[in-house]
Amino acid sequence: MKRRNFLTLTTGAAAGAALAACGNDGPAGSESGGGGGSASYWSLSGEPGEPYRKAAIDRFNKANPDSKITPTFFQNDAYKQKIKTALGANQAPTLIWGWGGGGLKSYVEAGQVEDLTSFFGDAALKSKLLPGSFGAATVDGKIYAMPVETVQPIVFYYNKKVFEQVGVSAPQTYGDILDLIPKFNAKGIAPFSLAGQSRWTNMMWLEFMLDRNAGSEVFDNVFAGKAGAWSDPAVLDMLTKVQDLVKMNAFQKGFASTAADTNADQALLYTGKAAMMVHGSWSYGIQKANGGKFVADGGLGWMNFPPIDGGKGDPTNTVGNPGQYLSISSKATAADKETAKKFFSTTLVDDEEKAGWVKSGGVPVLANSDSLYTGEDAQFQKDMSAIAAGAKTFAQSWDQALSPTASEVLLDNIAKLFQLQVSPQQWVDNMNGVIGK
Amino acid sequence: MTPTPAGTRTGKAPAPSVTGRPARRRLTERNWVGGSFAWLWLIVVMVPLYWLVITSFKTQANYFITNPLKPPSEFTFDNYVLVIESDFARYFMNSVIVTLGAVLPATLISFMAAYAVVRGAGNRFLQGVNGVFLMGLAIPLQAVVIPVYLIIIKMELYNTLQAIILPSIAFAIPLSVLVLANFIRDVPKELFESMRMDGATEWGTMWRLAFPLTRPALVTVVIYNAVGIWNGYLLPLILTQSPENATIPLALASFQTQFGVNVPAVAASVTLTTVPIVLLYAIGRRQLVSGLTAGFSK
Amino acid sequence: MTTLAPPVVRGQEPTRSRGGRSGSVLVWMVLPAFVMFVFFGIVPLIGVVVLSFSTWNGITPTIELTGLTSWKAALTNEGLPNALWVTFLIMALSWLVQTPLSILLGTFMARQSRYRGFLAVFYFIPLLLSSAAIAITYKSLLDPNFGLGAGLGIEALNQDWLGQANLAIATLIFVVSWQFIPFHSLIYQGAVRQIPDSMYEAAQIDGAGRVRQFFSITLPQLKYTIITSSTLMVVGSLTFFDLIWVLTAGGPGDATRALAVQMYQLGFQASLMGPASAIAVILVLVGIGLSLLLRRLGGRADQSQMEGA
Repeated sequence: MKRRNFLTLTTGAAAGAALAACGNDGPAGSESGGGGGSASYWSLSGEPGEPYRKAAIDRFNKANPDSKITPTFFQNDAYKQKIKTALGANQAPTLIWGWGGGGLKSYVEAGQVEDLTSFFGDAALKSKLLPGSFGAATVDGKIYAMPVETVQPIVFYYNKKVFEQVGVSAPQTYGDILDLIPKFNAKGIAPFSLAGQSRWTNMMWLEFMLDRNAGSEVFDNVFAGKAGAWSDPAVLDMLTKVQDLVKMNAFQKGFASTAADTNADQALLYTGKAAMMVHGSWSYGIQKANGGKFVADGGLGWMNFPPIDGGKGDPTNTVGNPGQYLSISSKATAADKETAKKFFSTTLVDDEEKAGWVKSGGVPVLANSDSLYTGEDAQFQKDMSAIAAGAKTFAQSWDQALSPTASEVLLDNIAKLFQLQVSPQQWVDNMNGVIGK
Repeated sequence: MTPTPAGTRTGKAPAPSVTGRPARRRLTERNWVGGSFAWLWLIVVMVPLYWLVITSFKTQANYFITNPLKPPSEFTFDNYVLVIESDFARYFMNSVIVTLGAVLPATLISFMAAYAVVRGAGNRFLQGVNGVFLMGLAIPLQAVVIPVYLIIIKMELYNTLQAIILPSIAFAIPLSVLVLANFIRDVPKELFESMRMDGATEWGTMWRLAFPLTRPALVTVVIYNAVGIWNGYLLPLILTQSPENATIPLALASFQTQFGVNVPAVAASVTLTTVPIVLLYAIGRRQLVSGLTAGFSK
Repeated sequence: MTTLAPPVVRGQEPTRSRGGRSGSVLVWMVLPAFVMFVFFGIVPLIGVVVLSFSTWNGITPTIELTGLTSWKAALTNEGLPNALWVTFLIMALSWLVQTPLSILLGTFMARQSRYRGFLAVFYFIPLLLSSAAIAITYKSLLDPNFGLGAGLGIEALNQDWLGQANLAIATLIFVVSWQFIPFHSLIYQGAVRQIPDSMYEAAQIDGAGRVRQFFSITLPQLKYTIITSSTLMVVGSLTFFDLIWVLTAGGPGDATRALAVQMYQLGFQASLMGPASAIAVILVLVGIGLSLLLRRLGGRADQSQMEGA
């Protein structure tokens, strides 16, 4: 209670000093004009998503002149920061965009987001979305978010021109990859491009290596909070393999200096300085936009991450984002919540929404999209759709699935693992320490 | 300690240089170490600036393909157009408002405080206050950003420009008081005495005597604080959230991905950000140097 | 400012406030700054101390006090010794690099009149760029594949500048120096120009060479400037956050994770506001300790200067 006194004190004194607020447009949008609600909506800026997010809101506002949704777009890292501070400050927008999983769980525990279980009790609505996308929206059996936008598996990309030049073919197994590494290195081409400064890029490697080695159970146990879940011998084996990759120069020289936010990692692949790359399906669009004719000329190859010889994992398994998620702030007014729900049940599941995300080059979370893949990206989209649909397990990215606390420790240890700063055993010990936190 | 030469106190007076000039010229001739290092450092300073300027004229498509240190074969102004169109003017204005809104009050109240601290050397309360300020020199902003954030929320100033301005003022105070008090201490006591004889009040003495005499130090403090606040990243990051209230450093960080790989646009916005202050500095440089001369040399 | 008369004997006795009225006017004058500073400086400091005894996650509406839990977590965190070490390393190295170079440049510019204006304008530009802008620029220039090395065709420049622990620290120190040497050399330039030429003339008559003049006249005369400049550097280095954050985000691994970065990551990324506040308190204590230390150096200097005057 000391805390409360201290704040009351400071607030009282502050009120006197406070200047008239200028530019204070409350993001919660509680003061609304017109009859309907006026929901605020925060999401990520930039290509390829922003234009389609904007289009959906424009469509809704046009169809519902009484209510209004006001969007604000943030750069990725800034958004993660903002949404957290906004929730703490009770300034959250009506519609909270997110990645589901552990982050959503922390919002639920703080009582910040609306329970949508009964809303999705409407089977007609629920059936319009891919069933696999609801996992990361569910906390303790209740649904707290609507899956939106696209399914984004992580893909194994390779530069076909470089493969031709070196005279090798695409790897079928992890063993093939190990054989390819010295061949590319001998030609002065980096075998893999990796934006090592951006920690989550390294994590994608671990996710596949663990899955192919040990199957999806290990991470399921971690996610379920089982003590010592990382102690599986397959984890140690996987970590050792990853460090072996680093030691045999599988990644470009100075990979720890490369950051994903400048897209320099993708530039390495399309400029032919690197032969292969593990990256999210969204990278296809970036390479298409920035790589000149690289994608159009068929320079880019892709596939699911190959199996590891003797590994226990199902080779159809994949990892990534099973969708993006929109939650409704529990602090919003009833009218605003209604507006948000109307947005969910109408605009976000309409045909234009589906067509829009297909046009963006993605695979929509909306069901029955396959017939729409007819454009120049059709092959990529069909393959991604097949990977997503055919996966025995479509695991959510670890940093999204775990709590913010555990995920920070995870990313930290992953970065150190690639730096060879921690041994596999230390890694396991460190990670066991934050299970269930 | 050997007697401090009078010159140290009178950097503003032209007297010493009269006798000094011939010797100074002779000394100039042989400082090869300093000379070569000065020019080397100029190159070190210029390379990143040069890179920024040439990159700002490249297109997004050829950024990763062209030699990073060669000017593009075809100059494009598209990046500047793009940056200006993406609300750059608003970010710039926000930065101007925040900087002026914080620096001017901060300098004014710091000046008053410094004056009081110097004049009230026998007053326990004033000396205690001075002690608190000196302690404040060492409080890093990051350390207190969480409670500042809470206070701003409770004041309902979250996501406003004042949310950046008010703490910026507070954190500029300690250093400003230190520099200004040192300077006011140098004003000869006789001048204060004669003001008092003329029947001037403390307020009158402060404005008519101390203020004009402290001008160089005030300029120093203004520029030093302005540079810090103009470039501030943490306070805008934590205390605002809508793009309408973003300042340049914040906008700059998000430009990086707002444009995908468009590093040229980042370079263009950096160039656009810097030019106005460089001009300001070119104008205020003399004042700054004389201010530093007087304010820091003890 | 040329109207200012040269100071005569400076009185040692404090300027007494004349009567209660004058004293209370002075109190009114100090009040705005004092209130502002207490409100946004001291109160938050108390708030940090209070938060360090909680386990707030930054999202929950209520904050509960939970005793020493967060302090235990912060103090037993393996990252703490590293963060302290990195903070110290950055402080010491940036001081060691910046001070001699700033003095050298300042001395040169004070004596060199022909190019001084020209050099000063260009030297000053780095100070005008935000740390974020500088970090973005250097990140691009130091990219091992698309940066400076590729541009000049010099393979030696294609190092893993931000990806290897020692190189990353060195790079950071270099960028800090790039940013701040101009400012400090400006301070030294001002100070050197105040050293009366008569002192050099006397030394020349005694047959002292340039190097000896530098060490026997310039450097001793710069003593107080060195203390002021060092205070700014050392205290300022505690607050390097923006630059590190954009340049390396504390990486590679935790090689550049100074206390301020560590605090930020714990508090705002891992949602552990309690331990983050505990680290903040540690940071403040380090800062206060340092400034007291520096003040003792400076305080003694002030005294002796006054005795001599």
